[in-house]
Amino acid sequence: MSRSLPVLTVTAVLIALWYLAVIPMNATWEYDQARRAGSELPFAEMVARTMAQERPVLPAPHQVVIGLYEQTVGCDAVGRRMCRETTPLTVQGFGQRVAAAFTSNRSLIYHAGVTLSATMLGFLIGTGGGILLAIGIVYNRAMDASVMPWAIASQTIPIIALAPMIIVVLNSVGISGLVPKAIIAAYLSFFPVVVGMVKGLRSPDAMQMDQMKTWSATGGQVFARLRLPMSMPYLFASLKIGIAAALVGTIVGELPIQQGGLGVRLLSGSYYGQTIQIWAALFAAAILAAALVGIVGLIERRVLARMGMKR
Amino acid sequence: MSGLMQGRGAWIRLGLAVAVLAACWWPRAAGAQPGDLTLVALTAALALSILAPGLGQAGRAVALLAMGLALSLAGGPLAFQQGGAEAGGFWAAAIAVWLGAWLLVALVAELPWRRGPWGLIAPLIFGATILWAWESVVRALDVPRVILPAPSEIAARLASSTDTLWIDLVQTFGRGALAGFAIGCGSAFLFALVVDRYPFLKRGLLPVGNFLAALPIIGTAPIFVMWFGFDWPSKAAVVVAMVFFPMLVNTVQGLAATEAMQRDLMRTYSASWGQTLLRLRLPAAMPFIFNGLKICATLALIGAIVAEFFGSPTYGMGFRISTEVGRLSLDMVWAEIAVAAALGSAFYGVWALLERQVTFWHPSQRGR
Amino acid sequence: MTKFAWAGMAAALGMTAGMASAQDAVTLQLKWVTQGQFAGYYVALDNGYYEEEGLDVTIRPGGPDIAPVQVLMGGGADVMVDWMPSALAAREQGAPVVNIAQPVVRSGLMLVCWADAGITTPEDFRGHKIGTWFFGNEIPLLNWLSQLGIPTTGGEDGAEILRIGFNVDPLLQRQADCVTAMTYNEYWQVIDAGVTPEQIVVFRYEDYGVATLEDGLWVNEENLSDPAFVDRMARFVRASMRGWEWALANPEAAAEIVLDNDETGAQTLEHQVRMVREMAALTEGSTGVLDEAAYQRTVDTLLGGGSDPVITRAPEGAFTHVVTEAASME
Repeated sequence: MSRSLPVLTVTAVLIALWYLAVIPMNATWEYDQARRAGSELPFAEMVARTMAQERPVLPAPHQVVIGLYEQTVGCDAVGRRMCRETTPLTVQGFGQRVAAAFTSNRSLIYHAGVTLSATMLGFLIGTGGGILLAIGIVYNRAMDASVMPWAIASQTIPIIALAPMIIVVLNSVGISGLVPKAIIAAYLSFFPVVVGMVKGLRSPDAMQMDQMKTWSATGGQVFARLRLPMSMPYLFASLKIGIAAALVGTIVGELPIQQGGLGVRLLSGSYYGQTIQIWAALFAAAILAAALVGIVGLIERRVLARMGMKR
Repeated sequence: MSGLMQGRGAWIRLGLAVAVLAACWWPRAAGAQPGDLTLVALTAALALSILAPGLGQAGRAVALLAMGLALSLAGGPLAFQQGGAEAGGFWAAAIAVWLGAWLLVALVAELPWRRGPWGLIAPLIFGATILWAWESVVRALDVPRVILPAPSEIAARLASSTDTLWIDLVQTFGRGALAGFAIGCGSAFLFALVVDRYPFLKRGLLPVGNFLAALPIIGTAPIFVMWFGFDWPSKAAVVVAMVFFPMLVNTVQGLAATEAMQRDLMRTYSASWGQTLLRLRLPAAMPFIFNGLKICATLALIGAIVAEFFGSPTYGMGFRISTEVGRLSLDMVWAEIAVAAALGSAFYGVWALLERQVTFWHPSQRGR
Repeated sequence: MTKFAWAGMAAALGMTAGMASAQDAVTLQLKWVTQGQFAGYYVALDNGYYEEEGLDVTIRPGGPDIAPVQVLMGGGADVMVDWMPSALAAREQGAPVVNIAQPVVRSGLMLVCWADAGITTPEDFRGHKIGTWFFGNEIPLLNWLSQLGIPTTGGEDGAEILRIGFNVDPLLQRQADCVTAMTYNEYWQVIDAGVTPEQIVVFRYEDYGVATLEDGLWVNEENLSDPAFVDRMARFVRASMRGWEWALANPEAAAEIVLDNDETGAQTLEHQVRMVREMAALTEGSTGVLDEAAYQRTVDTLLGGGSDPVITRAPEGAFTHVVTEAASME
């Protein structure tokens, strides 16, 4: 309880501040409308209206929560039949609705799935590539001298500018759909992995390296038994950053491809002025990112505990 | 033959020899590359790469310089004087130039001088090779200009549009990114001090901040534009949102980086919280703070550019990139991207330099 | 080599998306996202008109950051929907795109302004903020301002141009006095937001003689030398025009078809029905054949752009009747 109390307190304060902020931000529109209709607007009624606008400048927290519900397992998202036959109040009904939501493209769960598939693929490619590059940098002086500055510079190029071009180039050689999105995700996630792994592979100190020498360990053994295990904490720290970066990359990559996904929902909410749709998609993306980082954190704790490196 | 397989890069040298032989023997049409100049230069480069390891330091440096020159002479015609009828020999020569550059980098990396500006030679060679390869492939494969322009066209556009690029730079970096960076990092630093004073806040705020930082910028940028208008304040707001949390996390970590012994020492001097902060914990936190500043430096420019995609006046780097794609002037797009990359790297470099001055005592600042 | 290896090679080397099958594959790149603006093509797909012509059609939606010309030139599509000004500008840039059909004959482009901003005639644009989309959609506005002699640098005498996103919030939030809108989309979004028609003033490009042709079908000129390609396109255009006819006669059903094909799940039926009905007004009387007089009007409008013309010389060979002639032949 003591661990969650600070979080709960801070969250409660933030939500209270959010509610307070809704009033002045949405008030202008209400007063504008009232002025054009030529009617008076008492304060209490104005406050109530700002909390229930269809196109709010700042939606109230309950609007976002309701929006999230409706767009994940609500009636509109799962179809009329599912809505009639199941109720989300029981565990079984909720589960049925979630299952139906996976196949309905009106549901955020479906779109989260689309985003997730590209994210995972991009994350795998980026991590694999990043680890290989890190090994190259640590073991090959030429690569160390020449590649590292360009890896840093590559992250200063705004990916949102490159993404459409990468996709057009890949389409022109016949690669389309999931793979271009994954490649953009990999582009963003490989850099943290490279930096972390380079640091980690170089972390054994002189004493430990000498020890391996006294055991006449081969290069491969030094790598597998000393450098690699010692780099695990750094690797997991980078993986957490990398998977969040992969998610951002996927969302950016979805925009030019327009075949579903949370990024597309974000933008289409913006086109049609459906503010609540934007916020619901935004929070769904954040929840997905938090969940992914949390899963990596869980795996980290397990692996490091088994290796005896519990922090 | 023994010189071929000696020393570092032995296999690369072997590959280079094979590629040069293939380029020489492959039948080539008149007017097509590789021309005679290329083949002679490639052979010279191969010879130099065999000779170089055997020479003394000064001799080796001269030999590597000559090898670089030879490779440039070989690669230049391959990129710029294509006849249109390139066949297998062209690709063999191209591979030879690539391997030669790789070998050159490997040999340069062995030279003893690597601090300061000398350390830039290898990355520059690598970068030049990438640009050369881009130019050659785009011309050889006849890639349409509206899909991927050649580096020479991009450079030409850069040179002819300096005024536009400058206006965009001032708007995006000078106003949006810098303001956001200053406000974001400054407020994150102050917030970290508050969080440090009250551990309750630390336990509560960091997880919530983690969640808020996970909101994708693609979604928050249009919302900020809606709230703060189309001009640079909304871009600064997006940058603040992007840099606040990384800077906060790094500063908090830095403030916790002192050892118990050091903090006890300050207690024996009956130092107040403020004095401990100023004299012990802030200097000890500097490596982490600079780490955060470096990360935020690259994020700031990217955030400002992304924010401009969603609404801006008719100037600014993000505006230029997104609208020139619509006009299919991809050379202008790449010119802007080049400026953005250079600017972002330079901004990062400024903080890295400052870091070296301020945290000279930290192990990471020692040579390897 | 085995048949599999040949097919694999063909797929790898081929520049068109979609494997060759029993039917001829055609990929259409739309100018924007899946919506009623393209109802005709989706109707033709769902009602089987393309299948009847022996075509296996894939429709790729567009969006922001997707330049249809780029996709076409990159081989990602065989035919694209694009507006004439941006296609002609691309042609001048070196992209050999050619118009093969023009289903939409009237312009739906307009400027929507607040009545209380004091704008009653185009001259009043001076000193006000106009929000417009880019990516090819800014060309008609910049053209018009250039013809009126209004500089785009803002200040007292000029109009300040803002690049806005593809929604009407900048107007509603009063960050711009006027915004670009389509009769079939954004105008209705403004009305939906609670604004009454008396509170706004609209300027339709058609009414001021600065309208340019909009949604047309364009292909890569290099492909037109292949008679099989021309035949495929002819069948495609014929089936697409059938789709448009049906869509305009059955707007509600057409809107449902559009919704069924919408991958984002973000569209609403009411909005799409309205959109299809408005498209009826823009395509009425069209046979798909490009009217050369209308084409010339567009070219003249673009050439007359004053100090910053969209195109600097009259395009040659920018359209062809080859496909529409082949389509009506049977």
